Amino acid sequence: MSAPAIVGTIDEPPTAPPSRRERRADQNRSESSSHNRGPLMTTAGYVGMTVALLIVAVPLFWIIITSFKERGDIYVRPAQWWPNPATTENYHDVTTRIPFSNYFRNSLIITGVTSTVKIVLGVISAYALSLLRFPGRGIVFLVVIAALMVPNQITVISNYALVAQLGWRNTYQGIIIPLAGVAFGTFLMRNQFLSLPGEIIEAARLDGAGPLKLLWKVVLPMSWPTLVAFSLITVVNEWNEYLWPFLMSDDERVAPLPVGLTQLQNNDGVTNWGPVMAGTVLAMVPILVLFLVLQRQMIKGLTAGALKG
Amino acid sequence: MSTATTNPPAGSSAPKAANQKPSTQLARAGKWARRAPLLPALIFVILMTQLPFLATLVISFMNWNAYYPDERGFAGFDNFKRVFTDVNARQAVVVTILLTLAVVIISLLLGLGIALLLDRKFRGRGIVRTLMITPFLIVPIAAALLWKHALYNPEYGLFNGALKFVFGDNAPQPDWISNNPLWAIIAALVWQWTPFMMLILLAGLQGRPLDVVEAARIDGANGWQIFKSMTLPHLRQYIELSGLLGAIYVVQNFDHVFTITSGGLGTANLPYYIYQTFYTAQDYGRASAAGVVVVVGTIIIATFALRSVFSLFKEESR
Repeated sequence: MSAPAIVGTIDEPPTAPPSRRERRADQNRSESSSHNRGPLMTTAGYVGMTVALLIVAVPLFWIIITSFKERGDIYVRPAQWWPNPATTENYHDVTTRIPFSNYFRNSLIITGVTSTVKIVLGVISAYALSLLRFPGRGIVFLVVIAALMVPNQITVISNYALVAQLGWRNTYQGIIIPLAGVAFGTFLMRNQFLSLPGEIIEAARLDGAGPLKLLWKVVLPMSWPTLVAFSLITVVNEWNEYLWPFLMSDDERVAPLPVGLTQLQNNDGVTNWGPVMAGTVLAMVPILVLFLVLQRQMIKGLTAGALKG
Repeated sequence: MSTATTNPPAGSSAPKAANQKPSTQLARAGKWARRAPLLPALIFVILMTQLPFLATLVISFMNWNAYYPDERGFAGFDNFKRVFTDVNARQAVVVTILLTLAVVIISLLLGLGIALLLDRKFRGRGIVRTLMITPFLIVPIAAALLWKHALYNPEYGLFNGALKFVFGDNAPQPDWISNNPLWAIIAALVWQWTPFMMLILLAGLQGRPLDVVEAARIDGANGWQIFKSMTLPHLRQYIELSGLLGAIYVVQNFDHVFTITSGGLGTANLPYYIYQTFYTAQDYGRASAAGVVVVVGTIIIATFALRSVFSLFKEESR
């Protein structure tokens, strides 16, 4: 690699290979040297980073401090950069003025059930489309992938007509079942399964593992990052889903949090958005926590699953 | 692709032997029985992904308005004619294309820039990266509310508040949404989608073979040359992936348009147009026809766009 590595190995007894830590240190050195671009470029980089960070962070900072401001302070100009005095009144408001706990519960139920169904269906159908042989497999896969091109807003029409005729408006099944079709996950997981080494699957088959056992004991453990990515994206999507639940629900009986947030705005008009910001903070916390826990695997899995094959 | 799976030897010889030996037939039947638990799931997925669009296709040829239930019937191409002659529908197509292109291109460029910066080592990189991703994790409807009220509002929004903070009492106080309605939506969407692009491009950058870059540097290549002839070709598939996924989602965007402008001021995109036709006017037939036009258009554009992008990159990397 680079000069220090050679010197290091000569100084050491010839039989000892460089330890893992040394090799890593060496790698770091060469990596950082490849990023040495002179003081001007470095400064420009830091300036760019700071600007980007400000653009991203200032609105976030603004939501959070606003949610702690007293009602009068929100409208003070020029902008007030710190809540003075800080108050949790907005959080109290958002939980009492709208049935926040109902919306939150509905979000949990809808996200939980839809995600579970989608993940199970996505894994099983991807498995059937990648590792089982049956006639017409290729066509079935193409047909499922074609569904990726159909925006939700379009199938909403026929789904709405159907669900309304079944009398399922304002029910959980009315919201959940039409959302349960899973094309993206099938695509992602299938590509992941096809990238697995054929010999291992072959060996497990010869050992007499049936399809379900093979899936559970061999295929899934090797596909962990992609499964995490798929699951996380599904959960985030369901949590954020707005249009369909909005059409399907008239009040807090089954409406999830995003619908509740807009209702908060509608109830209060535009003047009192302290509670709106507090509700926004509360709605984003669960997803944020989930992401922080899973972020490494998510990035690895998303690129691996979508790019291989 | 299908060659990646290999059948056990017993399985591949089974078709020949099946006619002679009933025992292998039994074995095959047993095999199907063991696969059977997988089939309902697959069939359900096929139904759930296909039926809604097929139904939409059928409805698009029907005269179906929920306000006039008695007049339901076959309409031929009437709905399509009305979609193509409707000024609002054409306007919606233009808006959708502008919106999608602007958001995807700007957020790809910004995402690439931030990913390049984050690829360097510096103190606090982990925190900065996590912070950068946060906008993508905010519930879209909440992000739209944030931009509309907390940032754009001419009376008490952050933008005008900051203008006053910097320039004093005589600072200009524009009404951001009324002046540039489409750009107001684009900016809010770019803020949410840049982190996603950055995330995927950063993963691509970190998978780049560094020894080759090092060799090029020793050979005297400058930063721009390395970027243009090594980093970009390596990132090609990551750029395509993030652009494609982003485009699929932005074409469908409803939340931001609905919240920030309610489709007014010439910002109604196709999802919003469909929502209006179907939910407000209750004209299921025309809304479905518009939907079918969108899907067909998307497929055509995606095919051509992908081809030309592919060939462009292939020539560059040669």
